[in-house]
Amino acid sequence: MSNSILQAIDIGKRFGGVAALRCVNLEIQAGEVHALMGENGAGKSTLARIIAGVVRADSGSLVVDGQPAAIASPRDAQRLGIGIIHQELDLFPHLTAGENMVVGNLCFQEGRLARFRRMELFCRPFLEQVDLRCGVHTPAASLSIAQRQLLAIARALSMNARLLLMDEPTSALFHDGVERLFGLIRGLRGRGVSVVYVSHKMDEILRLADRVTVLRDGQTVGTREAASTDAAELIGMMVGRELEMAGGPRLRASDEVAMTVEGLRTGRLCDISFTLHRGEVLGVAGLVGAGRSQLGAALFGLDRIHSGSINLGGAPLYARSPGEAMRRGIGLVPEDRRLQGLMMNMSVRENGTLTVLGRMQRLGFIRGAFANGELEPVARQLALHCQSLDMCVSDLSGGNQQKVLLARWLLLHPQVLFLDDPTRGIDVAAKQDIYRLIEELAASGMAVILVSSELPELLRCCHRILVLREGRMTAIYDSAEATQEKIMASATVSEARG
Amino acid sequence: MMRRMMRPMLRKAQSLAALAAIVALAALISPVAADGSRIFLQIGNLTDILRQISLIGMISLAMTLVILTGGIDLSVGSTLALSTALTAMCLTRVWPNASYSSHIALAMATALAVSTLAGAMNGVVVATLRIQPFIVTLASMIGLRGLAKWLTDNENIDIGFGRDVAAEFAAVFRQKAIVVGSFVCAAAVFWTVLTRTVFGRYVRAIGDNEKAAEYAGLPIRRTKVWVYSLTGLVAGFAGVLYAAENHQGNPNAGVAYELDAIAAVVIGGTRLSGGKGTVSGTIVGALIMGVLTNMLRLNNVDSNVEMMIKAVIIVLAVAVQRERD
Repeated sequence: MSNSILQAIDIGKRFGGVAALRCVNLEIQAGEVHALMGENGAGKSTLARIIAGVVRADSGSLVVDGQPAAIASPRDAQRLGIGIIHQELDLFPHLTAGENMVVGNLCFQEGRLARFRRMELFCRPFLEQVDLRCGVHTPAASLSIAQRQLLAIARALSMNARLLLMDEPTSALFHDGVERLFGLIRGLRGRGVSVVYVSHKMDEILRLADRVTVLRDGQTVGTREAASTDAAELIGMMVGRELEMAGGPRLRASDEVAMTVEGLRTGRLCDISFTLHRGEVLGVAGLVGAGRSQLGAALFGLDRIHSGSINLGGAPLYARSPGEAMRRGIGLVPEDRRLQGLMMNMSVRENGTLTVLGRMQRLGFIRGAFANGELEPVARQLALHCQSLDMCVSDLSGGNQQKVLLARWLLLHPQVLFLDDPTRGIDVAAKQDIYRLIEELAASGMAVILVSSELPELLRCCHRILVLREGRMTAIYDSAEATQEKIMASATVSEARG
Repeated sequence: MMRRMMRPMLRKAQSLAALAAIVALAALISPVAADGSRIFLQIGNLTDILRQISLIGMISLAMTLVILTGGIDLSVGSTLALSTALTAMCLTRVWPNASYSSHIALAMATALAVSTLAGAMNGVVVATLRIQPFIVTLASMIGLRGLAKWLTDNENIDIGFGRDVAAEFAAVFRQKAIVVGSFVCAAAVFWTVLTRTVFGRYVRAIGDNEKAAEYAGLPIRRTKVWVYSLTGLVAGFAGVLYAAENHQGNPNAGVAYELDAIAAVVIGGTRLSGGKGTVSGTIVGALIMGVLTNMLRLNNVDSNVEMMIKAVIIVLAVAVQRERD
């Protein structure tokens, strides 16, 4: 216990009527990578934010270096050497990389005037440390997601952080970005920096972490040495049951063509061609930025199509707006459910029925009873857990929010449904529900396009997997022949290999 | 969980409680008439309050929709002035041979059509050019005021002092029952639109998350054009009533009405960034402002002090209703 850098003792926190944390204990040693696992809503992020001073605990205490510590603000945390990298990377997009690093940084003595030279000297070593090759004067908004993450880490390091909290750092990264991040984290550990790594992803945690603490329903279930545990045990601790990830799709797709795309070219995509059958689940794999979401945007009338053709149900499709695409039977569940999907101030009912109000109205008036009659069975089909349909969606867990969004599209009965990373950041049980749903939808004859950053997920759900790299289609695999290695190679290796 | 369900109700009760408190205070400190009754509580005074808030109240109902979409409309005061001027000009300068009723109808129709068009123009620019509503409506606030002054040569057009169509118009449309009735009808219509119709649902959805509204294929542009057009129409109607009430088409009318309307909306708990708010809140907000003004005037409080007190009330009302996390 002598080298314990931080202890959280009996932490409790309520948000309104909901207990996010009940009685959580966590102990972090100097120079270890400590993974914090749990389903969504288990309290991982809340705990990390309490330690970083972003949120204040209702009860319990924090001990830093053996001394009781009152961490009431991020500034307090900074003084104690605790830094946090938020899931959403809270950088200032219009400030430069250097400005982002020195704003509010107690280690940088800000004079009356912004001294660019001094700022550069201050920032340079940290940018090098994280291997971020960009100028100090580059605006944060012009960096890629992965680069912004490195910048956020550099900022935390420049604040003299000895304990880094990382909240789902890989949720927006693909393979190569993840590897670089892992290398960086191992390097930090070597220099004695402790890292608390909040994640859902089992393989990452088992590869990276020294120890793992599992939370469930706002309570600590236990802490294990990573070397002496395995995925099955951790999942058991998280949910109390086994995760079903085996096998490809059980049902065969029909031979009937739902949609053909030929030579599709947009500002971000080049030469995309594929045929989609009814009842088929087509996976789309690729690095972030490879054009996965842009494929959806092109089909859904959000991006302009420069050339190529889309044929849907026997007729050409030239959708210039989502409304037109919807009328032709295309649905799209966007990647970011908070920004692009849900109206966070509206109820489950209002969110769920938003796209189908057209047929739930008479003379412009909403027919409430009729709307409920349609929404309720869909909510049951999705295993949507909520107190009532009038609950505000912001009070739901991530998984249930995603289900509300899915309900919105299921009510529309599209012929082709584009799901853009539907399981991102949601818990294991909700993921299973969504896999089951995709299966049911395909069985009912719908054609599903599934984008995912998690290859096991694609292998589990899809009949075929299309791989994109830098806006081009590099491969399309049948589920029988597809492996993670093949997909990864198509997604990363350039054609110049000879 | 119970507390979570109760919270919105409590918050709604809060603004009603604030209104009740101000009414009680007004009654308490009201000067007493010769017969010993409190002047504030006399029916005549209470209906006067309603009449006084009707014009701004109407405008703030429409403003509620604009703000719910995440926008704002600064041009309502100028639209009101333009409509007032047009009504007066039509009644006094054109169609001398028309019958009284058709002349009045034509004058009103002209004023309302132009006002609606002005609103629609705001809406089209906001929705298609994607310029911030604040800037668009700031421009039309200046431009429409200029138009009103140019049309009237900077003059008040007096109406209704003779025995002509204008006098008839003023006599009808300055009646308390007509003015207050219009406000009540408008309130009922706006409440229904916002809570019961597809259009109202779209208004809230767009203000809540415009990106998501786009992904859901909602008719964003059409909805916005309608919202701003509706606001122009309502401001125009308020302008018609203004002309009757003040016996003049005054191109300088309605200055700062947009700010009073916005104040009523935010006191009513509508969030300025959009997506969250109610028509009933706005009605309570307008009533709070009206009762407060009446109370202070009955007690001969200096009108400058009145403004200072209103300033405090606005901040207090919003502070009390702000969300806690």
